[in-house]
Amino acid sequence: MEVLDKLVNVALIAATLRTTAPILLVALGGSFTTKAGIFNIGLEGQMLVGAFFAVIGSIWTGSAFAGVACGVAAALVFALAFAVLVVTFRANEVVVGLALNILAGGMTISLMKAIFGTRGSIVGHGIVGLPKVQIPGAQALLGSWAPLISGFTPIVYVSFVAVPLLVLFYNRTRLGLYIRVVGEKPEAAEALGISITRVRYIASLLCGLLAGLAGAHLSLGYITMFTENMSSGRGFMAVAILIFSNGDPLKVLAGCLLFGFADAFSLRLQTFGFPSYLVLTVPYVVALTALFALSYRARPTIIKETLASMQKLLSVDRNSAPADRNPQ
Amino acid sequence: MVSNAPGSPTLHNTAAMAVELTAITKRFGAFIANDGIDLAVRRGEIHAIIGENGAGKTTLMNILFGLLQPDEGSIRLNGEATDVTDPAAAIKAGLGMVHQHFKLVPSLSVADNVFLGMEIRRHGLIDHAAQIARTHELSKRFGLHVDPTERVGLLSVGIEQRIEILKVLVRGARTIILDEPTAVLTPQESRELFQTLRSFVAEGMTVIFISHHLEEVMEVSDTVTVLRNGKKVATRPTSELSKDELVRMMVGRDVSFARRPRAELQGEVILQVKDLWARDDRRLPALRNASFTVRAGEVVGIAGVAGNGQTELAEVLAGLRPASHGEAWLKGQNLTALSPAAIREAGLAHVPGDRMVRGVDGNATIAANTLMGRQHRAPWSRGGVLDWKAIGQNAGALIKRFDIRARGASDTVKRLSGGNIQKVVLAREFTNSADFLLIDQPTRGVDIGAQEAIHDEIMRQRAAGRAILLISVQLDELAALTDRILVMFNGRIMGEVAGDDADEDRIGMMMAGVSPQLEPA
Repeated sequence: MEVLDKLVNVALIAATLRTTAPILLVALGGSFTTKAGIFNIGLEGQMLVGAFFAVIGSIWTGSAFAGVACGVAAALVFALAFAVLVVTFRANEVVVGLALNILAGGMTISLMKAIFGTRGSIVGHGIVGLPKVQIPGAQALLGSWAPLISGFTPIVYVSFVAVPLLVLFYNRTRLGLYIRVVGEKPEAAEALGISITRVRYIASLLCGLLAGLAGAHLSLGYITMFTENMSSGRGFMAVAILIFSNGDPLKVLAGCLLFGFADAFSLRLQTFGFPSYLVLTVPYVVALTALFALSYRARPTIIKETLASMQKLLSVDRNSAPADRNPQ
Repeated sequence: MVSNAPGSPTLHNTAAMAVELTAITKRFGAFIANDGIDLAVRRGEIHAIIGENGAGKTTLMNILFGLLQPDEGSIRLNGEATDVTDPAAAIKAGLGMVHQHFKLVPSLSVADNVFLGMEIRRHGLIDHAAQIARTHELSKRFGLHVDPTERVGLLSVGIEQRIEILKVLVRGARTIILDEPTAVLTPQESRELFQTLRSFVAEGMTVIFISHHLEEVMEVSDTVTVLRNGKKVATRPTSELSKDELVRMMVGRDVSFARRPRAELQGEVILQVKDLWARDDRRLPALRNASFTVRAGEVVGIAGVAGNGQTELAEVLAGLRPASHGEAWLKGQNLTALSPAAIREAGLAHVPGDRMVRGVDGNATIAANTLMGRQHRAPWSRGGVLDWKAIGQNAGALIKRFDIRARGASDTVKRLSGGNIQKVVLAREFTNSADFLLIDQPTRGVDIGAQEAIHDEIMRQRAAGRAILLISVQLDELAALTDRILVMFNGRIMGEVAGDDADEDRIGMMMAGVSPQLEPA
């Protein structure tokens, strides 16, 4: 019991929220493109350039928020390039996404070498990290539970507030509705004079905006440094979550919390002396388990139908009218 | 938009003619789709435009709605010369069109779909409550029963059509064009649609509807315009016309669609289907527990709204889809265990529902298409080598016998009209001396003249003692040809009626899922 208490406590939940934030932001960004009918595999690259240029901006200006703005701007450039190729020139979205991901990886390494003369990581150089927001009165109100709502960087708050905002956006705003229509039934959009191209550009850029924020959180949030391939698959995790959630913000949140928890839990296990390589597999094992659980849901229809046909076979009166009208 | 709502007075409401088309000509390359057509539609009437496939009906309506531009001719709407450059201009002039293919978003609610592109907003946010209220009000007023809050993806085709009509109404249309609206409906749904159309007219609106269905034109329209080969034949008040006259104007000669006379020659059971189940492409059960028999010299019809398991049934019998449960015996062999080739060997001839996909290779010649599936047999091949001379001669004979209108056996099939392509399929399948003929939608997209010829051929096959399973969505076709009709709904066989007692109401109820046992006698 004692071990469990040490493993699962307020600090773990707070850590989960921290590790969830970047995946959540990038996945919510991807929800725009998913809803608009674009399979955006380029999230990883957008996040990576966001992280890199946030660090660069932070060093140049000495301001964390200017750094975030730089990161977002860089991700937007990548998102724009993606939109031009995919929407305007109708290139294959997987190929373009992969190409931009590879470009992001190579470009950040080259620039790191050119600017700082090093490979691996940028540490120091006067990088300014994001401040932590202490919510006044949290301590008095929640006592030892205060870390659950207080002491995060602004981007963490943004990422969680974005979830209900996106729900509202898709259900109650015209643009949100049009994004859904363009993704689900482009013919309908066309027939009603909604420009598919314009809506897809907007969706791509909104995606870049959130992916850039997610990247900035990685490099200026809790550790102020940039390392090669810093996004380490979070963009792809987001793509996986998007496929399951179909871009619905609440389902995205659920998926991201699962991954975030696995991430935080594996970090915690490491401190308890579990072999680190084994521990690092935890998020991926969780991903595979989730995959299996979801695809397993397809099975009951087969079982039900077989039961229905078995009953038919065993029933004595073959001529009687079938009682169930809808076995599916 | 609200000021244009149906029922409220519009500005130029004085002209007697809602639509006047003068000398409209439209060419596609060398083909003349519309040749100097005049059309005048009076305000407040239901005006049917009838003609065979390719007569130019849809082209003419697309020109009226601004989807196509005429090469010659002019358009007057409500007495004013109007340049209909695009659909937006047509909508502005008070026109609305319900297309054959619906453009609805499945995950959105009915009200969201109706107001898509012209949402009611409050404080920048979409006002769902107001949209639902307005949809409800319109649907009540015109008898277009829908639940505005339901998701479109869960609704039937008939209701989807109502939503498309509501979309047109909410945009302020006073003249509504419907392109073959009844093609996807059950007889009951069609009747409800006609009632709605009459309620439009009662409110002073105008309805133009395209059809090639004689009965419904006679039933619902005030005036009929007949088109043939891109030209107008006549415009006449419906009350002055008989069905026979209409057909003569459409086809240019007499055609009979009465029930075909037949001899009673019931033979042995050729096909026996027992407890057959199958899944569709989404892996959901689509055919549920079908059991029936077909005897030699018998035509058994399968009726039902498209998409109720008929396709899956045909595909299982042809070996193109695995059965998930059950058996189908063709002369003592279980089809569900055989490959398509083995099933054909066992005595199946298959006229598939989608002829361009499974019936013919459009890029090949007529000769090659009449050969397919029997290329390994004499006289088409000898010692494993194709005898093209024999193949050509055989194809020539088939062209003559089945009256295929083509330049010759080396003509490419996709150049032919729909009816002639279908005749190529029949020519191949009906000359295989198979005992069981599986015929799916034989006259879909086929001209009335060719329909008659195809029906003649099916009756000849019956007289020759073949067992025939005829799947069709057209009840009049089934009533003319079949001995028994099985009605399918949601993958199940709901009941059976005799071919000479094909009561449209009873079949229609079953097509809509009402079990015959539940009905009061």
